[in-house]
Order: sequence, then structure tokens, then C-alpha cells
Amino acid sequence: MEINIRYFGQFREFTGKREETLEVKQGITVEEMREYVRGIYPKIAAKEEVLVAVNGNFGPLDQVIEASDEVAFFPPVSGG
Amino acid sequence: MIKIQREDIDIEGILESVKSPASGGVVTFLGTVRDNAKGRSVAKMSIEVYEAMAVTQLEAIRSEALEKFGVHEAAVIHRYGDLEVGDNIVFIAVAAGHREEAFKACKYVIDELKQRVPIWKKETTPEGEFWVEGEKHE
Repeated sequence: MEINIRYFGQFREFTGKREETLEVKQGITVEEMREYVRGIYPKIAAKEEVLVAVNGNFGPLDQVIEASDEVAFFPPVSGG
Repeated sequence: MIKIQREDIDIEGILESVKSPASGGVVTFLGTVRDNAKGRSVAKMSIEVYEAMAVTQLEAIRSEALEKFGVHEAAVIHRYGDLEVGDNIVFIAVAAGHREEAFKACKYVIDELKQRVPIWKKETTPEGEFWVEGEKHE
């Protein structure tokens, strides 16, 4: 299935993309998705902390991602 | 009131909007662009936001603050885009019956914002541009 991924902050620069569509297996979890993206982008893989949000929420790592979900990757936040 | 905006913050307007006859005080926090970071001088700052998620997270933090501390009203306004030294970044205003819960709630909102609201700052310095490192999570 196809999943739409958005990148923010430094990860947008690491990937050179604001978003992309990735082909992944059905039933992929947040943790598996994170490993998959780390495998594509060495600079993301090198970061100690990689945050993943699904539909605007920080879910559990074993959460299953659906094709209609919006998945976002970004480094620790630094607002305020 | 929760707002993510490019333009400057109407501080007076926000203060008026959170006040009520039952409130005995308003505690505020105003975050501004500092001219230094980690020994480097900072000339400019650029702020990026994942807007839909930031609004959702800020709404949740606001509700938590109202419930946890029993305060009457809380407003959070955060800016994005290109800012200069001294510019306003974030404004938080909390109205409550008494000062103690208002101070606690205001601190809670800024502390949680720094942990979980998807906003990132990039500083322009004489040595180049640097993304501000967010705090690590558990």
C-alpha cells in the first residue's frame, strides 16, 4: 500500500522533500516505518531521536499505519 | 484561544480576551528572539511549524491546564516565519481567580509546548545557520 509521509524541520533538509509517497507492506507499524525511513536516509538514521506522528498524534510504536493516515517525521521539537 | 500565525501578536487584545469578572489576575509569558545562543551571536531566526498538529497539541495542552489548575481561560499564540532579534515568538496568557494557579498553569503550558508541539527554530549566526536542538524525550 502507499503511505504519504511529511518531513519537517531538519528532516525536510535531510530528505530534500516536504513530502513523498512510499510503497510499504500492509499492516506496517510505526516502528517498522521508522526503520524503513532510516534505511532510506542515512542522515535521519544518524539522529539519536526520530519522532513519528500519525494524524497529528504521537502514537505507540506498535500502532498499525493505514493507507489513509498522514505520517510525519521530524526531530525533537524546539518551539517556544 | 489558540493561534499559529505569521504576523506579530496583539498582546493587548489577547489580554482583554482572557480577562473576566471572576478572574483576579492574568499571568503571561512572552518568548522573544534572543541575540545569542550557545556562545554564538544570533542575527535572525526562522520558525517552521506543522500547523495542523501544532493546533491539535496546543488545544490539548490548553484543556489540560484549565482542568489541572482550575484556571478560567488560557490563550496561546505562536508565530512562524522569519523573525528578527527582539521579535515576539510566543505569547501565553492565563486568567485565574488567584495568582498561584495562574503562575502554575502558565508554566505548565510553556513547558509542555517545548516538549510536544511540532515547531522548530533555525538560528542564523555569523558561522552559518543552525537548527535549535529540541529536548530529548524518554
